[in-house]
Amino acid sequence: MNTLAFFGIVLVAQCVAILAQHLVPTIGPLFDARPLLYPVLLAYGALALPFGGMLALAFCSGLLWDALTAQFLVQRAAGGGPPQLVVENSLGWSILLYALLGALIHGLRPLFLRGRWDIHCLASGFCTVAILLTEYLLMTFRRGGLVFPSTLWPRIFLPGFFAMLAAPPVYFLFNYLANLLDYRVRNEAPS
Amino acid sequence: MSRNSIIALIVFFVAVIAFFVLTRHTETQQRVQQNVLSFVRPLFGLTSNLSAKAEAVAKGMKTLPQLEEENRQLKLTNEQLTLRNQLLNDMERENTGLRNALGFKQRSQFKLVPARIIARSSATWWTSVQIDRGERDGLDSDMPVVVDEGLVGKTTTVAENTAYVLLITDEGCKVAATVESTRENGILSGERTSSGNAPELSLNFLAKTAVPQLKPGLKVFSSGVGGVFPSGLVLGEIRSVEMRALDARARVSPAVNLARLENVFVVVGQRETPPAPTPAPRTR
Repeated sequence: MNTLAFFGIVLVAQCVAILAQHLVPTIGPLFDARPLLYPVLLAYGALALPFGGMLALAFCSGLLWDALTAQFLVQRAAGGGPPQLVVENSLGWSILLYALLGALIHGLRPLFLRGRWDIHCLASGFCTVAILLTEYLLMTFRRGGLVFPSTLWPRIFLPGFFAMLAAPPVYFLFNYLANLLDYRVRNEAPS
Repeated sequence: MSRNSIIALIVFFVAVIAFFVLTRHTETQQRVQQNVLSFVRPLFGLTSNLSAKAEAVAKGMKTLPQLEEENRQLKLTNEQLTLRNQLLNDMERENTGLRNALGFKQRSQFKLVPARIIARSSATWWTSVQIDRGERDGLDSDMPVVVDEGLVGKTTTVAENTAYVLLITDEGCKVAATVESTRENGILSGERTSSGNAPELSLNFLAKTAVPQLKPGLKVFSSGVGGVFPSGLVLGEIRSVEMRALDARARVSPAVNLARLENVFVVVGQRETPPAPTPAPRTR
């Protein structure tokens, strides 16, 4: 019951973070880098929730994120054929990406169980960078021509840095909530 | 791996496969987005209203002398505009009369739907905004979005009461364009990693022979080719021109400051105008 309640809190927080992301502006002087909060919560969920909970969180986060950000375009053929609806980075691919990242981070659970907050910090940075880099690679591959301008890297790595800064408060806040609910992170490895 | 984890993994994959099968058509995926947008629209509308109100309160803190001065200025402007309006009405009447006399067709005018930006896309690699108008207001996908300074972009996903507008700075928004005072045509699009504060557009497929004519400062307009964007919309201004192997490319700064947009207009069609009267037959 406690696990379910804590999962509910993390899931609601994740949905709020994804929706609130629309209100977070980019930082102009820092190459238009955008602080992202939802990978921090995704990393926390991957460390604190059981494997099944992490997968459910990845599913819901990926679906909501894709539904809000997928770009649909009407393409017209040069010869005047019927217009065709196309989508860049189709709906659902983020679910797989988040589940994969979550599974990797979930492997660091034994360290997290020892109370290592820095693990969550590093996982948040890694998760943010991996998400942004994969999104860009998929987009640039689809559009043709693998372009890697110099402005690309700050826009990938600075959000990773921001995520690492945001990670400790998120860690301590959710650990506090977990204590309130009497939720204990347990090792799932078979004995 | 524990038994519970294996079961969770199987359930997850079944759910993912079911999702991919159910949304294999792009139209279905767009419908999912439309439903999600309609669902979150009140939330974005609320936050947008709150921020607009907070800004209004911050701007509205004025002293009595300031308000009196502003009132005096507004009255003066009102008088000037009334006079100007009268003059323009006279000119419009005269213009219509001359056009009718010459048998010209009435110049097409746009039917516009005003909209407010309620959210900016949170995606890092796609530049779009969300507006507070949708299907209910007559919007459809691929409709041009403009402001008085020029073209902003086009609508993409349109939900019942909200829509996404793909900005001109996105690489996916391509506009057939022509350069002022030349007959040079090209395709204008955004950069792959365009930034919001100093965005740059690329005018591609220009003839290499036209490079000497393409001077910085020349305005770029939509040419109307392609059918999405009407001709004559201001797109931007040439910043520089570079030669490439097969063509020339111009760097263009957008006419509209997209970072500060608040209100836009969606071009939903052409304004219906009464047919021009047939000129009376000449009598000798």
